[in-house]
Amino acid sequence: MNSFLTRYSSTTPEADIRKAKELYGEDEDFSEVMWGSTGGFGNLASGVPMFKLPSVQDPSSFLRMHTDDHADPSCRIKIKHGTTTLAFRFQGGVIVAVDSRATAGSYVASGTVKKVIEINPYLLGTMAGGAADCQYWETYLGIQCRLHELRNRERISVAAASKYLSNLVYSYKGMGLSMGTMICGWDKTGPAIFYVDSDGTRLKGDLFSVGSGSTFAYGVLDQGYRWDLTDEEAQELGRRSIYAAGHRDAFSGNTVNLYHVKQDGWKFIGNYDVSELHYNGPGDVPGATGGGYGYDIRVAGRTSTNAPEGEAGEGQA
Amino acid sequence: MDHFPTNWGRPRNDAFDPYGTYPIHQRPAVKDNFAEGVQHTQQPIVTGTSVLAIQYKDGIMMAADNLASYGSLARFKDVRRLHAVGTSTVIGASGDMSDFQAIQSILDDLVIDEFTHGDGHDLGPAEVHEYLSRVMYARRSKMNPLWNSLLVGGFRDGKRFLSYVDLLGTTYSAPSIATGYGAYIAIPLLRAAVDGKQDQLTEEAAKSILHECMRVLFYRDARSLDKYQLAIVSEAGVQISDQIQLDTTWNFAEGIRGYGAQTQ
Amino acid sequence: MPDGSFAHPQQRQFNPYSDNGGTILAIAGADFTVIAGDTRQSEGYSIQTRYAPKVFRLTDRAVLAVNGFAADGNMFVKKVKQRLEWYRHAHAKDMPLRAIARLIQTMLYAQRFFPYYVYNILGGIEEDGTGAVYSFDPVGSYEREACRAAGAAQSLVQPFLDNQIYFKNQKAAPGTTHPAHLPLSDVLSIVIDSFTSATERHIEVGDGLEIYVVVAQGRSPQGLDAFRGAQELSTQPNGDRMFIIRRELKKD
Repeated sequence: MNSFLTRYSSTTPEADIRKAKELYGEDEDFSEVMWGSTGGFGNLASGVPMFKLPSVQDPSSFLRMHTDDHADPSCRIKIKHGTTTLAFRFQGGVIVAVDSRATAGSYVASGTVKKVIEINPYLLGTMAGGAADCQYWETYLGIQCRLHELRNRERISVAAASKYLSNLVYSYKGMGLSMGTMICGWDKTGPAIFYVDSDGTRLKGDLFSVGSGSTFAYGVLDQGYRWDLTDEEAQELGRRSIYAAGHRDAFSGNTVNLYHVKQDGWKFIGNYDVSELHYNGPGDVPGATGGGYGYDIRVAGRTSTNAPEGEAGEGQA
Repeated sequence: MDHFPTNWGRPRNDAFDPYGTYPIHQRPAVKDNFAEGVQHTQQPIVTGTSVLAIQYKDGIMMAADNLASYGSLARFKDVRRLHAVGTSTVIGASGDMSDFQAIQSILDDLVIDEFTHGDGHDLGPAEVHEYLSRVMYARRSKMNPLWNSLLVGGFRDGKRFLSYVDLLGTTYSAPSIATGYGAYIAIPLLRAAVDGKQDQLTEEAAKSILHECMRVLFYRDARSLDKYQLAIVSEAGVQISDQIQLDTTWNFAEGIRGYGAQTQ
Repeated sequence: MPDGSFAHPQQRQFNPYSDNGGTILAIAGADFTVIAGDTRQSEGYSIQTRYAPKVFRLTDRAVLAVNGFAADGNMFVKKVKQRLEWYRHAHAKDMPLRAIARLIQTMLYAQRFFPYYVYNILGGIEEDGTGAVYSFDPVGSYEREACRAAGAAQSLVQPFLDNQIYFKNQKAAPGTTHPAHLPLSDVLSIVIDSFTSATERHIEVGDGLEIYVVVAQGRSPQGLDAFRGAQELSTQPNGDRMFIIRRELKKD
């Protein structure tokens, strides 16, 4: 009887809530864990996060219409994009180097982005593609890695962590996620790198570069890469490769962030301004060969337009 | 490989996918074929034009003409686009008239519910506006908007209230607000006459400026009518006037080349 | 179809977004933060109102500025405030700034497939007493910075801040270095100049300026108490101090 009453009454609190849900209720926007004594622990505490979808025929084309598209500058919602990242494995561990530029269309939205995401003391992820996608899901991965440790009394392997991420983004395939990331770390098998992207690709390898400047980075990287690089040589190679991309690719640049993963976890090596690298080099750091990285700096006095003393350049006759 | 990150993960063009390799997992499940058949308002059909409203010394005033158009057809010439909610609030609507009627019924239910609680509380203009803005924003978020621009005005506890809310859920308040063509044609006149002077403006002056703006709108807005209603909300409560006739002169048209007798 | 053919049926879809213009800006000092926004709200070429706040106080030491689509912005602020209140009930204290930043990320990202068209800048005092600014993109990527401008005139204001705050493309006088942090009076001048200049060169900026200043507990408000038009909003006698400064901007 009571339930019958509540169901059809229009003045009970239940009826008020029912009506409110009908009119302006957003479906399960807030779960119970967000308030009361457990309140304030964020969406992640409730397990798998829920995402609101626009109620249209095709949510992914809705997203494409409204979020940025370099072919259509009229799209207002500019999502930040990252660009050049690289990681390689060598005898001394893993080198991770990235630039720090984020662009929204042709606007440099930021020059100080942290594109290396510190998942935990042994795992690094890189950011290329949608900045929010990488940040959010790699943070989420960090939570899952910690849970794995608590459940299994041992650290998660790089293979398992990267597979967790790739399975996760694969479940959103076609929905508009955009990430190209390298999960780098050191586990029982030694140094490891896995490339994971939002299409669901997951590749194990020694050497990767991702982003619009990746071709430039590969050029330097491939040329200088050996397994038996010393730590210092490897760090210098990472710096030079990102510098090359920052120099030649308009969507990359500002600064280089360099990390080195060894058996005892990752270590931040340094942050280097690309312009500074061009003219003056990285300064007095291990592996630096001295002087600027720039072509015109390195070859000053040895080109036709800038001839050595006493010799006339060809163009100047 | 496409190295341009803004292209990555972008929903691909799934119009052509000959091998069905394009999985989309999380499409919202179609729950009910009948419910799917319900048409969402995707464009307004029978529409009302501008609503004007201003603050004045003793409260607020709102004006809207009595026309509901069906495209360019002047279809209904005695609709009421001003509606009292409770005892201290009035709302005025431009846009789709059927959606406005739905809003009226929602608000009337709300006022009745409040009354039946019998707790001595009732809704003032600020509450009505907050409620309406939540409803409008929720409907836009469901991609099923109520296709209206609404003005909410009122007077309560010695305070004036005048705010706007539209189909997107956008809200704002100002001393003078107008929807539709009024925002282009009447607002410059209203701002000059009202903004900054709302504490001095008398009822007579307020009435006359709105009357003048309604006349200007009738001259220029092809979807307007020379018959309007005026709502006044003050200490005395809500008063919505009878229909007011605008007197207009058109003899100046004679002198306009290409309009009157002179065709060349 | 104008030519009478229906070869390419078109469906006109409801566009749930709009752009309401305006600009916001925040600068962090050593022990204070300044968060500011203009108060114009516009749609297309129409000014809807000359006073619609875009900067909101969240806690005694956190201020949020929102810019973009006003309906999304207001709703987002409402929801953040609600979550912070729930946190207060559960923990009997205010959420720390860096936690608010992470909360905002998860709340924005929850709408990844139907984004809030909102650029957020969060400013305030960190638990260690330093001034902090966090800036977000519409889907939640964020970063702690020393200064950030967002909105319609961000491309006008940000280069100015890069030059004045980060001293980009400036050389220190011989034998000196650039200061790591500017004093409050310098920062306020830079903020006011940014907005008067943006008002001159961007049609969607103007009308009014609201500047929030949060000063860390026990630190000097550096003469702010006497600053023209400054009004104190602090709730605790010995806690962090919060001020608001209102200024007029050109209205044309």
